Amino acid sequence: MASSLPIPAPPRTPTPPTPIREEEQEMGGGLGINGISRTVRSTMALDPNSLSPMTDTFPSRFGSMGSPMSSSANTPTFNNFNNNNTMGPPPLNAGTLNPNSTSTSNPNPFNFQTQTIKETPLSTIAKSVWLLPPFSSEQRLYLLSEQEIYANYYPKNIGQRRGHRYKHSSVSAQHQIFLEPPPRAPLALPASLPVPTLREAWQSTANMDKAQRLRILWCACHALVAAYVLYSASGSLAMTALSHLIFFDAISASICVAVEIFCNFEVWKRSSIRHPFGLERAEVLAGFAMSVFLLFMSFDLISHNLKHVLESLGSHQPHHPHSHHRVSPGSIDSAAVLSIVATLISAVVLDNHKRIGKAMRFVYLDNLPGILSNPAHLLTLSCSTLMLILPLLSINIYIWLDRLLCTLTAVAMFALGTRLAMTQGLMLLMSYSGTGVSEVMQQVVREPMVVGVEEARFWQVHFGLCMANLKLRVTGDETQVGKLRERIALLVRNRLGGGYGKGSGLKWEVTVQCTIEK
Amino acid sequence: MAEKDSRRIFYFMTLNFAFMLVQAGYGYVTDSLGLLSDSIHMFFDCLALGVGLFAAVASKWPPSERFPYGFGKIESLSGFGNGVFLMLISVEIMIEATERLADGRETKRLAELFVVSALGLAVNLIGMACFGHHGHAGHDHGGHDHGHDHGHSHENVNSHDHHGHDHDHDHTHEHDHGNQTPLLSDAPPKAVSLAGHSHGHGHSHDNENMHGIFLHVLADTMGSAAVMVSTALIYLIGWNGWDPLASCVIAILIFMSSIPLIKSSAKKLLLTVPDDVEYNLRATLAGVSDLRGVASYTVPRFWMGDENEAERVLGVMHIVATRGSDIDDVRERTRDFLVGKGVDVVLQVERDGDLSCWCGRSGDKRSPATPGF
Repeated sequence: MASSLPIPAPPRTPTPPTPIREEEQEMGGGLGINGISRTVRSTMALDPNSLSPMTDTFPSRFGSMGSPMSSSANTPTFNNFNNNNTMGPPPLNAGTLNPNSTSTSNPNPFNFQTQTIKETPLSTIAKSVWLLPPFSSEQRLYLLSEQEIYANYYPKNIGQRRGHRYKHSSVSAQHQIFLEPPPRAPLALPASLPVPTLREAWQSTANMDKAQRLRILWCACHALVAAYVLYSASGSLAMTALSHLIFFDAISASICVAVEIFCNFEVWKRSSIRHPFGLERAEVLAGFAMSVFLLFMSFDLISHNLKHVLESLGSHQPHHPHSHHRVSPGSIDSAAVLSIVATLISAVVLDNHKRIGKAMRFVYLDNLPGILSNPAHLLTLSCSTLMLILPLLSINIYIWLDRLLCTLTAVAMFALGTRLAMTQGLMLLMSYSGTGVSEVMQQVVREPMVVGVEEARFWQVHFGLCMANLKLRVTGDETQVGKLRERIALLVRNRLGGGYGKGSGLKWEVTVQCTIEK
Repeated sequence: MAEKDSRRIFYFMTLNFAFMLVQAGYGYVTDSLGLLSDSIHMFFDCLALGVGLFAAVASKWPPSERFPYGFGKIESLSGFGNGVFLMLISVEIMIEATERLADGRETKRLAELFVVSALGLAVNLIGMACFGHHGHAGHDHGGHDHGHDHGHSHENVNSHDHHGHDHDHDHTHEHDHGNQTPLLSDAPPKAVSLAGHSHGHGHSHDNENMHGIFLHVLADTMGSAAVMVSTALIYLIGWNGWDPLASCVIAILIFMSSIPLIKSSAKKLLLTVPDDVEYNLRATLAGVSDLRGVASYTVPRFWMGDENEAERVLGVMHIVATRGSDIDDVRERTRDFLVGKGVDVVLQVERDGDLSCWCGRSGDKRSPATPGF
């Protein structure tokens, strides 16, 4: 079961593995009768989820469910994948395979921590010193200067002595009145994760029971459909426009599949110092590039169209004579049928355009059923349906109708491209384009404990993540401040997270810095 | 300097637009298709310039509620968009060129074409003069003045040396490289010049917006120069393949030259932390764990903020305070420490054992020692 697997330490590459600091070889004053045994706790907090949780956990509300195990169990792909790891990402199961691993994240039913008990070798020396025949003045002097002896014996102790002189007296050693701060292992740095190469990405698809490879294959088919439509257009501008649209769909579908494949890798979701939000923002960037592509194609279509118009206006002979009867009236246009089928398959199977469609809601399209509510699908489907229906109804596609259709498609593409570019560009500009931020801030200001707001930044990182970073000046004590923080986090989630039902899938990471005013 | 940039873009855009109008009007009067289609092309250039102008102006806007980190990224965004656009254009040019090569279509009205492209070249040369200085990062001006002299030596190295004498478009981007492929040389020389001075500034002040516009104008200049040369060659030799061949070569050059632009702007937009900053951040984080009262930290996220040209590291971090420490004190000291390292972080300090936060802390991994016996 994936949830029972421990989460071992991520490799901490750039910094050398700092060993747990050896217990300072400290020796107390001259009263140490017994050997001093000291406990050394070697704990290392190496839970990768604490540095970059991948799922939203509400430990306080769900009680014991908030353990790191349950939160990591929600992302089973990583564990599954790394079981047969042959490649890039750090082996997650190294901790269990290696018996010497000091990872403390082994599930321990009794919640106690292993303690290493060390007999300090000093104790024997202490005894031997003590057992010397006492009370000669020389010996007394010798005893008084024993610190120096130890310092010579353990030269590294020089300068490290600190704290209470009687800490290791028999009393304090046994009753732990004087507690040393526990020796601290260095905290885990976020692991730096390698970005997979194309080859690794391809190999990773082998583990996913061929489903991903089938999807890649389908994307190629989708592109082939676009090529076929372009080929069969034979001069019809509207059909050319449609083929452009299908090509756009095909590339978007490939991006969808690429995102899915990259999800095999940890670097995609897990944040590191190099990629603070994983690589998930790359999808937004690719989407932005795609919207530029769409804009470009619409420009291209319009300018082609204009050129044709200009050519026919003048006395010039058009380069390629239009075949007005590309498809004989009354028959079915195979290209149009193919394009509808391809679009539907990509939409249903690959969830093409899904995340972008969610991020960009057209209010007036929301009521349409199913995939039609997605503007990209709506555009392609309506275009191809039109191309299918027109010959069926025995409507001659005149040149002007052809041009009109092409222009309409191009304008629609332009509108869609602009909208896509805006939505994703805003995300890339680190802004939050939803509404409700000012309401939330009003409510925050109205909190009686809040004295002032230094900074409030709400922004969307990628399709699935938003951040709210607030710097507040507050009054009140610690517990009140903690409560306030919880309230604000809940408020942001409830107001901006979309609530239940809508399924926007937006996760909000709320960080509140509270400066307590006295 | 910033206002200077946007003014430059504005002037050139106006010039471009005026030229487009004149061209379209004249083309309409004389019923010249070449002029008309060229003015369509000019119009798209104007659009790209307009986007660049908007980005240059907007990048100075202050942060607001809607744009909490300001508009520092908009220039990278515009550069990225321009780079993608250029790539698409070059792909399209190549497709068209192969089509024309296969068709063997005859190029007509050579004289008209020659004049139009000469005028376009003149306009674009003005643009190059405008943006040439600032197209690149701006720390490699040294060789600009004698760039002209090298025009011919590079001509031979270039792959498109078959049109003997178009060093007009070469001399303007001569100033930042001495290596073989003038257009591709954007990244390597920068890296070399970086090695000289301190780290950490290589990626700052690298105006991708101006870079994108520069590349765009450069592409146009090369395009019109290529048309001139190829029409001359067609006239002289009589083979129609010169034109698609020249445009193909130029398309490849444009494609290659927009790759570094896309790469650098994509890195900025992905919020990737540069190598040297990453190294420093690791050291800083190790320092944070040594601070008194800090039990651990969760979800450290840092990114490069670039409001008002000043690059600094922004970020978010949740600190877990040890039991018995004053939360406000821990926050203050951690913050001071981080600010001292040049990192501006929103710090949320939590109490050890307080599991209410989303950051999914697994709890008492690091609680103070329970009394051992």
